[in-house]
Amino acid sequence: METKSSPWKKIAAIIAAILLITGIALIFMLPAPQTRHYPKRIEVRFWHMWTGEWASVVDNIAQEYNRNQTKYEVVPLSVPSSAADTKFLLAVSGGNPPDLMAQWNPVIPSWADKKLLTPLDEMMTPAEWKEFQNTAYPVAKKIGIYKGKLYGVTTGTNVWALYYNPKHLREAGLDPNKFPKTLEELMKWGDKLNRYDKRGNLVRMGFLPGWLAEYAPIFDGGFYDFKSNKLTLNSPQNLRALTFLVDARKKIGYNNVVRFESGLLSSSNGSGDWPFIKDFYSIALDGQWRVEEIRKLAEDTKKNGGPWDFEYGTAPVPPPTGGKSAAGFADGNFLVIPRGAKQARGAWEFIKFWSGIEKPERAAKFYTWGGWMPINAKVANAPAYQKYVRENPQFKTFLDLMPSENLEPSPPVSYQIFLVDRIGRTDDFATRGSLTPEQALKTLEHDIAAEQARRKEYRYDVN
Amino acid sequence: MSTKSPSGLGKYQRLGVHAALIMLCLPFIMPLIWMVSTSLKAPSQIAMKSGESAVAFSAKNLLPNPVKWDNYPKALETVPFAVYLRNTLFLCFFSVIGAVISSAVVAYGFARIRFKGRDSLFYLMLATMCLPGAVTMIPAFALFRWLGWYGTFLPLIVPAFCGNAFYIFLLKQFFATIPEELSEAARIDGASEWRIFRQVMLPLAKPALATCALFQFLGTWNDFFGPLIYINDPTKYTLAYGLQQFLASHGTEWAKLMAGACIFTIPIIILFFFAQKTFIQGIATTGSKG
Amino acid sequence: MKKRSAKTIRNLTGYAFIAPWLIGFLVFTAGPFIASIFLSFTRYDIISTPVWVGAANYKELLTGDPIFWKSLLVTFKYAAVAIPSGIIAGVALALLLNMELKGISVYRTIFFIPSIVPVVATSVVFVWILNPNSGLVNSILLRFGIMGPNWLQDKNWALWSLIFMSLWGVGGSMIIYLAGLKDIPIQLYEAAMIDGANAWQRARHITIPMLTPIIFFNLVMGTIGAFGTFTQAFVMTQGGPEDSTMFYSLYLFNRAWRYLDMGYASAMAWILFVIIMIFTGIIMKSHRKWVHYGN
Repeated sequence: METKSSPWKKIAAIIAAILLITGIALIFMLPAPQTRHYPKRIEVRFWHMWTGEWASVVDNIAQEYNRNQTKYEVVPLSVPSSAADTKFLLAVSGGNPPDLMAQWNPVIPSWADKKLLTPLDEMMTPAEWKEFQNTAYPVAKKIGIYKGKLYGVTTGTNVWALYYNPKHLREAGLDPNKFPKTLEELMKWGDKLNRYDKRGNLVRMGFLPGWLAEYAPIFDGGFYDFKSNKLTLNSPQNLRALTFLVDARKKIGYNNVVRFESGLLSSSNGSGDWPFIKDFYSIALDGQWRVEEIRKLAEDTKKNGGPWDFEYGTAPVPPPTGGKSAAGFADGNFLVIPRGAKQARGAWEFIKFWSGIEKPERAAKFYTWGGWMPINAKVANAPAYQKYVRENPQFKTFLDLMPSENLEPSPPVSYQIFLVDRIGRTDDFATRGSLTPEQALKTLEHDIAAEQARRKEYRYDVN
Repeated sequence: MSTKSPSGLGKYQRLGVHAALIMLCLPFIMPLIWMVSTSLKAPSQIAMKSGESAVAFSAKNLLPNPVKWDNYPKALETVPFAVYLRNTLFLCFFSVIGAVISSAVVAYGFARIRFKGRDSLFYLMLATMCLPGAVTMIPAFALFRWLGWYGTFLPLIVPAFCGNAFYIFLLKQFFATIPEELSEAARIDGASEWRIFRQVMLPLAKPALATCALFQFLGTWNDFFGPLIYINDPTKYTLAYGLQQFLASHGTEWAKLMAGACIFTIPIIILFFFAQKTFIQGIATTGSKG
Repeated sequence: MKKRSAKTIRNLTGYAFIAPWLIGFLVFTAGPFIASIFLSFTRYDIISTPVWVGAANYKELLTGDPIFWKSLLVTFKYAAVAIPSGIIAGVALALLLNMELKGISVYRTIFFIPSIVPVVATSVVFVWILNPNSGLVNSILLRFGIMGPNWLQDKNWALWSLIFMSLWGVGGSMIIYLAGLKDIPIQLYEAAMIDGANAWQRARHITIPMLTPIIFFNLVMGTIGAFGTFTQAFVMTQGGPEDSTMFYSLYLFNRAWRYLDMGYASAMAWILFVIIMIFTGIIMKSHRKWVHYGN
């Protein structure tokens, strides 16, 4: 079986080996790239979870800051999100935290509860703290404040609203300019927009209302009363919201909905396109970042000489009777300073610079680089931001939601991620028809009560 | 090559086997095809409207049109590719050398020397594999920090030199299949255990050693988590980290990501293609000649 | 007297050979190992000092946590199907790829590809293969008039989908079997052919028995691996739908790193440890009955 190799083969192998070795040697002789541009300044170690072009936006903001003052140098490090929390927690537990971290997972209550984060209000002057409390949008405060102390400054809130395809609406004889003012009416529009193939399979969804955490506030419910600081899990409003979501699926058939949605999975997971722009939905609920995404896609397509005729509009979710308008779920990107950070002051200066707590007019530019929602009205009204909104008129729907008191982030309890997972589970079991809405909410209430009992037994904080 | 192979198949049987193998191959090669095809597409094609049903993967869609070769230079520009490659090769080199040599030595001890406590220690070694990393990570991290290794390559290299339970077990199984008479004969000639190991066992275990080296290389090449946890300097990261940089939370650029993935993967596939010939050089070859 | 010293020398030689591992174990592994036993009896949130809570974690797990039991069941189901099918597929593939055929190295490479390609690419392709509307599997089923299930999105099928996916990674064990096959002395086959044994008899009486040490290895590793299954579920399903793919290790990870309940997670780890050790012990005990060493 051992074949005698010909001399040519041997020579070829030797040449290949030499080339390979030279190549590797060349690589190893490369100079190490520079990470510091101002080696004499104090280094502020900044970890964030952005990657790709988003990481470049963050790098640019840091560079801008480094150019703007002479004391600190912010050095960003992209820590991809699948390992970010683990790396962060290990570093903090080992006493070697970064000076600043940008996060978007709901971690503030649990990390603050474990004394992992520096209270930022203590870094502010009393005037600054007062100013923050007066000017920051309510949702930014709900996300950043835990038990009266500020732990995170949001540099980009995520809010959700409806995207609609005017072409589909016109085809179905609906007037995009008379967009529904009630949820009931919107559901009727949705029915008219559904399309089926010959076999009776759904091929285009008119409108499918999304998930419980978004709809509970719309139905005047929600999982937390931010005034009395109490969980409100199994309320009649939440039950109404969940029943509404379940009924919408029951009408089409649980299995059909799952089949339709998972049929899209390959595209949402695979080729980077969003089902809405591929005409699979006529009206879809999604976050503000899609505006920026579509803008980029259009730009890219045109650059490559392709036609671009995609048309879309946005609108807030209309409330049901007895519900609330400008309501829904919200979460955000925010900046935190770990406890034990060596350069907390430098980190704080950078937070003020980026967020627009200091000089909102200057910071407005950064928000437009990422297509991020502003932290307060001053940033929103700054010329740079207004210009962005004029160029992307669909963005206004989202901006208009920001001052609302009805946006609800995940409840700020110390076991927040556990609670968020359980709410997701409630949603999952009910909208697939395995549990009735009543049963699902009762299970949620029971599970959380059990967790609270366990935490009490362990002498942990129960709130 | 002899005309009569151990499988002893006729011409038509061979054709049949080829046909069956090609059919079987299809699902296995799919990820590669998809990767390459996506890496050559324009963003507009990836986001192409596909009309009636959710066919993101139809034959028509599989072929890039137009073919965008410049996705590759673009991908290479996005990350400091050469630096990452250097770090990756550095880590791969030391961890492969370390893991293979130490595992072979240890495996020989477990397989061929009857010492006191051998079986319990072997069982203990297997046991170390059964505790999930998620719970041992904190004490291990604390240890490396205490040693002053946080922020260096050491936590990623040194443990490899202490052998890897998986390879030790694998090599032990291979050593155990080699007839005892071979080493007995050497022992009678007065050879030390070390010499028996070096001169009798290692050459015979080449396929198994190659397998271990391959697994270790692949593991290090693909390891994204280890370097990320222990290293804080962006210039010390590896290709696996670079690949993550193409993935974005919103609006991942798939063409660039897959171009990156191809650059990341294709060298390994080529390497494997050539390395797998080593697996053929077992005692089978020496046997057929004898 | 002389005999004893020979024994001592053998003991010393043995320990010298295993020294790299022994040192590594004492330095890097033993500490974290013992620490995790201690932590399993505490409440520990990673940051604060651990507080002793006795057996409270174990009590809660065994009596008050339905997801724990669910995850155990999911993992058992997975192991029961994935391990044997993985071994059968691995051996069969290795036998097939051990043939003397032109281009066999290309085939070998192709079957190994899913083990090399980054998870982002494999998971995307896998999701497509199992797409209920346009995926490969359901398209084929439809040809036979069968309406395929929703696979990854169906609570009755999601686990099966992941088992199916695990077979896709069979290339890894195929390589090990292949290396083992190449170690079988060819004289055995020649002798058998002279005795007039056919291909099946040769496989049955030479190949399989000679491969048992490697099958044994893969069985033990497969058991340890199956109970530790994490990545596929973490990447593809996050435990859903309706907890149908909530693997033990995934739940453990959630407890440890997302809920910061490290004490609880450590207790879970030790329960898992005992379970795996029992199974491994049974396999080890049985191995003298069916594993052939040497000649």
